[in-house]
Amino acid sequence: MFTSKKEIVFNINKIIFSSLDIRDVYQTMSNELLKVIDFDRLSITLITEDNNLYENFVLSKDYEYTALKEGVFYPMEGSLMKRVVQFREPVIVDDTSKGRFLTDAVLFKEGIRSRLGFPLEYKGNVIGSVNFGAKQKDYYSKKHIHFFSQIAPQLAMAIENTRLFNKIKEAEKKYRDIIESSPDIIFECTSEGKFHLMSSAVEKITGYPAEQFYHSPGYGLALCHSDDQERVQNEIYQLLHGLRGILLDLEFRVIHKQGMVVWLSIEALPIKEGNTIVGIEGFCRDITERKKLEELKDNLIRDVTHELKTPVAKIEMAVDMFERSLKKENGGVPERGFQVHEILRNNIGRLKNSIKNILDISKLESGMELLNVSLFSVVDMVKQIVCEMTDAATAKGNVIVNLLPSGLPMIRADRDKIYQLVAHLIDNAIKFTEQGKINILARALPDALEVTVEDIGRGLDEETKRRVFEKFYKETPSAYGSGIGLAICKNIVQIHKGKIWVESQGKGMGSQFKFTLPVAGDR
Amino acid sequence: MKEILIIEDDLEMQEFYKDMLQGGQFTITLASNADEGLKKTKEKKYDLVILDILMEGVTGDRIFAMLRKDSRYREVPIIMASALDEKTYRCFQALGNVSFLEKPFNKEKLLGEIAKRL
Repeated sequence: MFTSKKEIVFNINKIIFSSLDIRDVYQTMSNELLKVIDFDRLSITLITEDNNLYENFVLSKDYEYTALKEGVFYPMEGSLMKRVVQFREPVIVDDTSKGRFLTDAVLFKEGIRSRLGFPLEYKGNVIGSVNFGAKQKDYYSKKHIHFFSQIAPQLAMAIENTRLFNKIKEAEKKYRDIIESSPDIIFECTSEGKFHLMSSAVEKITGYPAEQFYHSPGYGLALCHSDDQERVQNEIYQLLHGLRGILLDLEFRVIHKQGMVVWLSIEALPIKEGNTIVGIEGFCRDITERKKLEELKDNLIRDVTHELKTPVAKIEMAVDMFERSLKKENGGVPERGFQVHEILRNNIGRLKNSIKNILDISKLESGMELLNVSLFSVVDMVKQIVCEMTDAATAKGNVIVNLLPSGLPMIRADRDKIYQLVAHLIDNAIKFTEQGKINILARALPDALEVTVEDIGRGLDEETKRRVFEKFYKETPSAYGSGIGLAICKNIVQIHKGKIWVESQGKGMGSQFKFTLPVAGDR
Repeated sequence: MKEILIIEDDLEMQEFYKDMLQGGQFTITLASNADEGLKKTKEKKYDLVILDILMEGVTGDRIFAMLRKDSRYREVPIIMASALDEKTYRCFQALGNVSFLEKPFNKEKLLGEIAKRL
């Protein structure tokens, strides 16, 4: 009998350390225990962080219902456990009908008459207890206590290990969740380029799933744009060889699975083991949008600069040409003089126009421009504009046809601004049409007036149609004009609460610029 | 006599080139756009090409790239002209046998750049 008990203790201890699943441990342990200690109810109660009790495992033999079932939390106060914790000693209740503890009364109702509570101690702290219950009075004795004392320390250690393991698992999950929910690519790789960590954001950004990076070392660099590869490789080399301490905002391009260019910015640190650098860790941010904006801004500055500098350059060169002609170096003065005069006049006009446009758009966009509103007839205004622009149209072989019907409603607006708007649309039509007709049409809508300037000129492709009202947008950077005219038109229409848009069947198919303005109400 | 091809879409600029280079030791050929210019480069090998960068349609930098792909023009000196400053086009410097000419320029400057490259 004694030997077999020793064997059982040995068995139980073996079981305790064989599994990290504490439920397995409890289950097999209780099976083994039954061979030596008779019980009708076995429970393992743990102390929670806020000093309450928690039924971690309950096994009730031959009866189904128990009030203190698994997963139940209840107060320490009044329980047998309180005493176990207080005295760090096993506590025996011989008869629950006469018991001092609240839990005695509860278990008595279930037929449990005697109890043994055994403390589970780990590193000097009581972490819980193992509780036996028997239907028989006066069942538990010192012999049980002696036997169980050989198992309790190991069990306590196993419970603590499991708790610790679960805590680590939880922390790991939390950390993993943060990494996976980050919009940035978070990574860790060895000096050989083997990835230990690649967050799933990589798929959203590059189109390639994270697994692909785990399986092939150096995969990250392979996606790098060929023009940037050497630079990136060099920076990483420096980081891995301790030539620099950190990689900050290194910008480079990668090629997305679908072929487009994605701009990334990388920040990385070396991973050290002692004094040796064994890898790098860091994150990559998608900065494509920012790059696009920067490019747009650069183009914009470039185009405006070009637009302002070109006429000034030509004025300077014309003056230079004139001076040389005075030295009789070549040509006759009268002939050169005429040519220079033409160039000067052209370019001063172009410059004046650019400056006026830039000032106009600045005023309009600042919202500081006050409208000088009056009630007027668009029909009369268009007549005046057509009259003034006929010469310019004829010079390019174009005809302006005024198709405005009579009886259109009056509008309440800033006449000078609307004049500028219509004149600009007609001027544009002249610019992009050779030997053609430019029609001006208008019609009354229920609460607005719609005006159309139609030409049979160059037409617009889809992108130009979409962007033509953007400030400084030009189909080609060197195209004549500042690229501001239509942006001004849009602003003028908007401050009058109207709409402006363009229709075109495509390149070479002509275009129709249309705008609406609210008609004068009863005010 | 050395032959220079000038691809420049601005007619007024063409006048300046003609004025500065006439009576000198070069013959000049003018082209008003990329198509016309590239056609001329196919017809014969010029000793130097002057390219305006910002032109409507195909821009000077693209013409530059196309010329360098043509074996006959791989080594031909090229002068890139623009009203923008050289910083904007820093990328060209790495390409070899190319000068940058900022507008406005005077006769001396133009002849100087040409002399440097020929």
